[in-house]
Amino acid sequence: MGPFFEHIIFASAFLFPPVALTVLLCLVLATFGKSLGLRKLYVNTLIAIFEWGARQIKTTKKMEKIKRGESSAQLFNLGDCLSSSDDEQPSDDNEVRSDGYESGSGMRRRHGSGTSVCSVSSVCSRTEPALLRKNSIIRRETQIQFDEDEDDGEVLVNSRGWAVMRDSIDFVKAGIESIIEDEVTSRFEAEQLASWNMLTRTSIRFYQFVNWKLTVLYSLGFLLRYCVLLPLRISIFSIGLVFLVVSTAIIGLFPDGALKRRLNFNCMLICYRILSRSVSAVVHFHDEHNRPPGSGIAVANHTSPMDAMILSTDNVYALIGQRHPGILGLVQRALSRASSHIWFERSEAKDRATVAHMLREHVSDVNKLPILIFPEGTCINNTSVMMFKKGSFEVGATIFPIAMKYDSRFGDPFWNSSEQTWAEYLLRMQTSWAIICNVWYLPPMRIHEGEDAIDFANRVKKAIAQKGGLVDLEWDGQLKRSRVPPKLVRKQQEKYCHRFARYTSTSDGLRANAEAEDDGEYITFKSPGVSGYNSLEELPEDVIVSSDEDEGTIPEDAIPTRQRRRHARSDNDVDDVLLSPITSQ
Amino acid sequence: MGNSSSLMLRDEEIDEISRDTEFNRNQIVRLYSRFLSLDKKGQGYLERDDFLNVPELAVNPLGDRIVDAFFTLAGDNEQKLNFRQFVRILAHFQPINRGKKNVLNGRREKLRFAFQMYDLNKNGYITREEFKVILNSMVGANITAEQLDKIADRTIEEADGDHDGRISFDEFCRAMEKTDIEEKMSIRFLN
Repeated sequence: MGPFFEHIIFASAFLFPPVALTVLLCLVLATFGKSLGLRKLYVNTLIAIFEWGARQIKTTKKMEKIKRGESSAQLFNLGDCLSSSDDEQPSDDNEVRSDGYESGSGMRRRHGSGTSVCSVSSVCSRTEPALLRKNSIIRRETQIQFDEDEDDGEVLVNSRGWAVMRDSIDFVKAGIESIIEDEVTSRFEAEQLASWNMLTRTSIRFYQFVNWKLTVLYSLGFLLRYCVLLPLRISIFSIGLVFLVVSTAIIGLFPDGALKRRLNFNCMLICYRILSRSVSAVVHFHDEHNRPPGSGIAVANHTSPMDAMILSTDNVYALIGQRHPGILGLVQRALSRASSHIWFERSEAKDRATVAHMLREHVSDVNKLPILIFPEGTCINNTSVMMFKKGSFEVGATIFPIAMKYDSRFGDPFWNSSEQTWAEYLLRMQTSWAIICNVWYLPPMRIHEGEDAIDFANRVKKAIAQKGGLVDLEWDGQLKRSRVPPKLVRKQQEKYCHRFARYTSTSDGLRANAEAEDDGEYITFKSPGVSGYNSLEELPEDVIVSSDEDEGTIPEDAIPTRQRRRHARSDNDVDDVLLSPITSQ
Repeated sequence: MGNSSSLMLRDEEIDEISRDTEFNRNQIVRLYSRFLSLDKKGQGYLERDDFLNVPELAVNPLGDRIVDAFFTLAGDNEQKLNFRQFVRILAHFQPINRGKKNVLNGRREKLRFAFQMYDLNKNGYITREEFKVILNSMVGANITAEQLDKIADRTIEEADGDHDGRISFDEFCRAMEKTDIEEKMSIRFLN
């Protein structure tokens, strides 16, 4: 036992100076916001290695295929029959087929950086949504949203009665398509990668044994990540955390005023820069002239709890969110000592008015920092932007949109809070290769005359999605945790009814009746004239930084609906409510 | 290399499913990864809830019925759907391929799925009441009871060849003759 300890002591004495020096170097560089370009070098090396790995996988697959004697003609059989009706298909198919075993050039193409990640431009990443389709299983054709104008004249009604049956077939197709592939659930899961990044990752096909060279490479990478990077990063993280707590405590002693604000500004920048190095964050800021100046609301898309940290390495923000226990709580309390942030209790979150009031007060004070809000209210996997809660857009302040797009090749920053705890997430981040993020500051936006908060929120969302190369979705991010409210189903029924009424109108007075219903004669739960999914007023309306364990808040005026939703959810059957008149007959 | 427990699909199994369903290997692997992601609890089978957790399906007025038909057609009373059954049902929605046997995706098989959806008590007939239930979930409360009755009457009347007041599967197929089922119930699976 004795000699063993001696060895350890000897080894640590030997290792201490380089480790300490590295950490110190990191800290000093972080303090002054400087970089030696080492991280860029590191990232470029990684890319070269991944590309080599991708080539390895490709050649191995080819060898296997030859061995199996599989004729490629067989593989294309289905594609041939499909392509007759679609010219685009064959090229798409080829891409899909080779996806995952793509060559280096393919990988470059997908991520849009020819020479280095650092040059990823907004133009390149904008093409990404189209390319994301490569992972699809099917080509979606049917949507159940019947657009009232489009269907006009298109429907030929040979036999009036049977029309319903035929329409139901459309619903079936749409339903089955959504089972195979849907827009929403995939956004709450880790994004699929085109090539293996030597971390254990989501796609099942990467887990297969390919060849021994890759296995060795993976093991080396594993050793590097866990034995070298992780200890370094943990020390940097701890130092950053201690620095944050101590500095905020000291700043808290100063009287309010310009000096305190300046101290806080500089200290926070240093803190966040140190912390960001604990995950080897490489952040590229674009259009810095649009950076939020004094007060105002900065609005960004939300992928991970690190978003706030990433953004804060360039500018200091006030944060808003619910109080957390544990280490996050510690950070929150520390932050509040030095400047004003809005933290609220979970119970208080239910009271939207209070939060809105605090927000309004904060924004009207010119001496306070711009406030950072993630209006999605939950983490999305960085392939899309989901519905923005209207709360922060009602305040009337200038909105500074910020688009964030991570490069998930080196580590996926998405936090799937239903699967991972915060500590697990942190560990995963610190054992990843690096976190690379592009941040675009968009020109400030104001609400237009006569525009309501929802439309304004959608406009901002669209701008962010475009800039960041993300898919603009209208679905609510809260669907990650909760079921679709029956109200949305009703909306679909209503839409269908309108369409149905149109081509049965000649035979009976249905149309007249349907229009009478529009005036609210029959329908008890008619929604106000809002289009699409924006009419989710009853859904949680929180303006929360990381609401990720939050059940969601519900405005008081929606209490009946909420009860109904509970009822529907407990029965797992939305139709229950709607079918009752018939089944009771 | 990593978490191999999630790779439960063996080569022979893929081949077998491929022979069974006319999906190719790639498609099966992709469908399998979809199956795994639908199976949130990691049970190895899907339950009704796993389907209805897909928001797009849940807002579908017939979403519930579709899931129902899924389970009925799989012939599983336990309300558990394994991957084999899952792929088998989806195979019904493959486009009809002239060069193949189309065991699962022929016109009749496709229609069978739709019929199952309407046939709530699974006795082989669509009755007026059953149709009204479906119609009601499609239009919700936007129609009066009289209108509902009227539409139901007309629909049943139109397809009811033997005038027994209900629609058998054969009658259903006949009524659908004018409809392009090949197109309407085929999903474009990518290779």
